[in-house]
Amino acid sequence: MQISSKELILLIAIITFIFLIAPLFLIIYIFLYNKKKAKHLEEKEILRKTFELELLKTQIEVQEHILQTIASDLHDNIGQLLSLTSMTLSSIKTDHLREEKINTASELTQRAIKELRQLSKKMNGQELIKKSLGHAIAYELDWLKKGLAYEIQFNDHTTHPIPAHADKELIMFRLFQEILSNILKHAQASLIQITIDQTKDHLSLFVKDNGKGFIPEEKIKDGDGLGLFNLQKRTLMMDGNFTINSNPGIGTEIHVSIPYS
Amino acid sequence: MQDFFTVNTITELICLFISILCLYKDKNIYWRSFIIYLLLVCTVEMAGISLRLQHKPNYALYTCFLVVECTMISCFFYYLYKKYHHKPGQLYSWLGLFILVFALELFSNHFSNFAYKTAAFMSVVFVIASLYYYMLILQDEHFRKLESYPPFWIVNGVLFFYFGSTACNIFFDYLLQEKAHSITLSTRYVTFNILNVLLYSCWSYAFICRYRQRN
Repeated sequence: MQISSKELILLIAIITFIFLIAPLFLIIYIFLYNKKKAKHLEEKEILRKTFELELLKTQIEVQEHILQTIASDLHDNIGQLLSLTSMTLSSIKTDHLREEKINTASELTQRAIKELRQLSKKMNGQELIKKSLGHAIAYELDWLKKGLAYEIQFNDHTTHPIPAHADKELIMFRLFQEILSNILKHAQASLIQITIDQTKDHLSLFVKDNGKGFIPEEKIKDGDGLGLFNLQKRTLMMDGNFTINSNPGIGTEIHVSIPYS
Repeated sequence: MQDFFTVNTITELICLFISILCLYKDKNIYWRSFIIYLLLVCTVEMAGISLRLQHKPNYALYTCFLVVECTMISCFFYYLYKKYHHKPGQLYSWLGLFILVFALELFSNHFSNFAYKTAAFMSVVFVIASLYYYMLILQDEHFRKLESYPPFWIVNGVLFFYFGSTACNIFFDYLLQEKAHSITLSTRYVTFNILNVLLYSCWSYAFICRYRQRN
């Protein structure tokens, strides 16, 4: 069978058309595959973040557990031993000169017991938080007011404790401790203002100092902002917001807000 | 004058204009060389039309241009593959093979016709090179937004053009004998018009994407 020239040209045109359709479908397929790849990468990233947050959560839990154990050990064992020492000292009957020395030793032991109880309470965050976050912060500040020359202003605007989310209050309290520790270590401040606030579904903490300040971007760039990074990470773990404003010579403002509903 | 402005030449001139606007300040030599290449394309096209109007054969011009075309597209593919740790030896080997096939064809037809067999061979290689590039993109862990990824659109244009022209290259001999009323109505001419529009549209879009990403 002979193919006419007209038919052959038509055949060539059809082949060319098919040869044009084929790359078109191939390109569409590559687009779709690429979109799938993007989705896969997104899921992988979410998984990685979830894993990191879980890891951080576990770390905090372990840390909290260790602190609790140390606190109860201090309170139950060393505290008991010191109480026993104090009782023994008070039962000793001797001459006037020795009695004065024994009384001094007894007073020192009593002070050690008091300090130890305070330290143990401070370490046991869950115990502190039991009353409220405001109470825990006030207790921490009392401890601070005793030893150092800082002017401290604390405003507690919370209305009610949130026992259903005590873990969030505890993490917030630990964040506060870390911020405070950073101020004491680096800021060289004379005034520290702390405000805690509560709305229907958000708990927020605002800490301001009049210290030497710094440039946050530079700290992070120099790899010196590990503390800041940890604070931010912990806040993010609770789906919260962490903002920092700092200027050299003026001071630093840190605002942490976490949802709890 | 009107004869010089065909669908082909207008598409090529628009693409050249876009390439000048978008790639003039590009720091990458491979991208910038598109301006020179497109300038050569337009010059050859105009010269080809001029020779045709003087009733002189223009196949020698297009045959010589085949070397420029192959070098440019091959170098660009080499630039794309370089990111995936390909060595320059592969480019030199391919260009060497191309020159060998090209020379053999020219000697076998005594320089009397367009080197359509070499063109067909080159088309097949470029189609394979395009498909291989797609494979590299799919295998790559790094995600790219392909809608606006310039190299991807350059390769799309290349694939459309060389895959689409395969049938015409295979039946080149037969299509030469086609008795069309005029050259503008011949199957080969119409097909290459469509292919050129596709190729230069893809390239123009790639140049625009490149320009937008650079700024």
